[in-house]
Amino acid sequence: MSAVIEARGLSKRYGKRTAVDGIDFTIPAGRIVGLIGPNGSGKTTTLKAALGLIPFEGQLTVLGHDPRTERDALMQDVCFIADVAILPRWLRVGDAIDFVAGVHPRFNRDKAERYIANTKLTPSMKVKEMSKGMIVQLHLALVMAIDAKLLVLDEPTLGLDIIYRKQFYQNLLEDYFDEHKTIVITTHQVEEVEHILTDLMFIRDGRIVLAASMEEIGERYVEVMVPQEKLSAANALQPIDRRTVFGKAVMLFDAGPGGASRQQLAALGETRNPSVADLFVATMKGTYA
Amino acid sequence: MISDKNANTMKWLLRREFWEHKGSMFWAPLIVGTLLVALLGSLVTYGLMSRGIPAWVTINGQPQPHANLDTVLPENTKNMIARMATTIYMGASAPLLLVLAVVVFYYCLGALHDERRDRSILFWKSLPVSDRMTVLSKAIMATVVAPAITIVIAVAASLLLLFIASITLGVLGLNLFTMLLASPDLYLSPLRLAALLPVYVVWALPSVGWLLLVSSWAKSKPILWAVGVPVGALVAIKWVNASLESFYGQTLLLEHYASDIVARILGGIMPGIWFTFQGGLSAAIHPTRNGMDLSGLVPQSYMTLAGPDAWIGVAMGVAMLYGAVRMRRWRDEG
Repeated sequence: MSAVIEARGLSKRYGKRTAVDGIDFTIPAGRIVGLIGPNGSGKTTTLKAALGLIPFEGQLTVLGHDPRTERDALMQDVCFIADVAILPRWLRVGDAIDFVAGVHPRFNRDKAERYIANTKLTPSMKVKEMSKGMIVQLHLALVMAIDAKLLVLDEPTLGLDIIYRKQFYQNLLEDYFDEHKTIVITTHQVEEVEHILTDLMFIRDGRIVLAASMEEIGERYVEVMVPQEKLSAANALQPIDRRTVFGKAVMLFDAGPGGASRQQLAALGETRNPSVADLFVATMKGTYA
Repeated sequence: MISDKNANTMKWLLRREFWEHKGSMFWAPLIVGTLLVALLGSLVTYGLMSRGIPAWVTINGQPQPHANLDTVLPENTKNMIARMATTIYMGASAPLLLVLAVVVFYYCLGALHDERRDRSILFWKSLPVSDRMTVLSKAIMATVVAPAITIVIAVAASLLLLFIASITLGVLGLNLFTMLLASPDLYLSPLRLAALLPVYVVWALPSVGWLLLVSSWAKSKPILWAVGVPVGALVAIKWVNASLESFYGQTLLLEHYASDIVARILGGIMPGIWFTFQGGLSAAIHPTRNGMDLSGLVPQSYMTLAGPDAWIGVAMGVAMLYGAVRMRRWRDEG
């Protein structure tokens, strides 16, 4: 049982609208997977299905459980943060820690208190007195102190300032993650997570358009700075995206099977690995049109 | 092992409910109880102090100075006063029972609705706590914890009032302390109130089940659904019956059952409601020469559990709680 999440023909319809359209994917243990897609592409729906929050069609196994029928067992090993700051207004910091410590066998109280100590939060503070960023800080402190096998983060840092966001991903990598854990993150801020991800899944209109490890992506996609005189040769190799930087053409190529070879591309100009953000924009072209 | 874990989770869930609803469950009855003591206490004190002890101070045609009351009043008269005081003093806390009904009503309506409205349900659902445990904790809160708190405050308020009244009488020369302390009703009244708690749970279950079900299901304004659906259905049945009667001279005979059901799913949380369905109130509490005879209160209340009515209500309540669990499990919060 190496797969943490395994989906086969996973579909979810809301009335006539198809939010997730028969997708297949496998997430092995010990990975940090970025599930990336535009608004309404089905990423939150996919995660909700995996967390047993909504009914769905098709097959889905999470840590060996069917989230529809075995949610209570599943939640012993899974934790998640849904996309916005949603802690109840009446909750006090101290009570929140007591409660989670009381009901969760895998909660590490010292760890949570350590995270809280790094913020401006005090034990007697109520959620309704907090700024949005502080609520997220409290929520993250609670969740990061839970030793879950699968952690699902849906837009976890929305509303946080840049310093705390960097800090959070740093903590996630250094303090939380190990080879027995799996983390699935969705976010709009691709640049912020790309250096911690091990795997990437692009989702568009309820379908997965790209699923690969970061190494595979590094091998497969190549960005080339093409000088003026080689433009037509470059265009002949069918770049998947092109843009212009300081008067120079920058083209993105799929060097996978059936695409241009690395030698061909190296002959065109200076090559480098594309950023996830550029790859995302290229893949999602036309989605917003 | 499993049940230990569940008991522990339940303890924390109940604490969680108490944190959220401390205002309505604890402070509201405490404030009302305090007001009752202050208001009734000062009324009694003021009345006795300004008027003195009334006309019967004249004993056998001989006006007696107040200071001598203790010695001149016949022993059985003093006994009677003490008995009266100890049997009716719990009545002073009756408004607290009304507060309880209102608090439980609003608590149940919000219990599974507010967490969906502010989306905090997604936080609670991220923890290893089942929907069944959560709904059960809310039902226990409404049927056991809230009434228990009210009972404790009611007993404290009543004892305090009795104490104030006897001090005042003492100042006026009538010492009732020994008599009061010797009267069995002083101790029995709080015990009676506490003994009624299980009866309350049984009769409150259909209401609590209904209100929690609506709370788990209504998109907004659960109060309108909770009251509107049963009352609307009742009006519809009455209207159909009225038309049937005028055209055919007979009715569906449903009306009696319908009003019974509506009364039980909306009124079940009112303490003492069981007497209105089963009668027996006059047997349970009736005035006597020496105050009230309360000895029938507990037995008569438990007698209402003997018929099928109470248990049909329990079955309905449990079924609706199960419905609320299913709703909480599958409701998609967008």
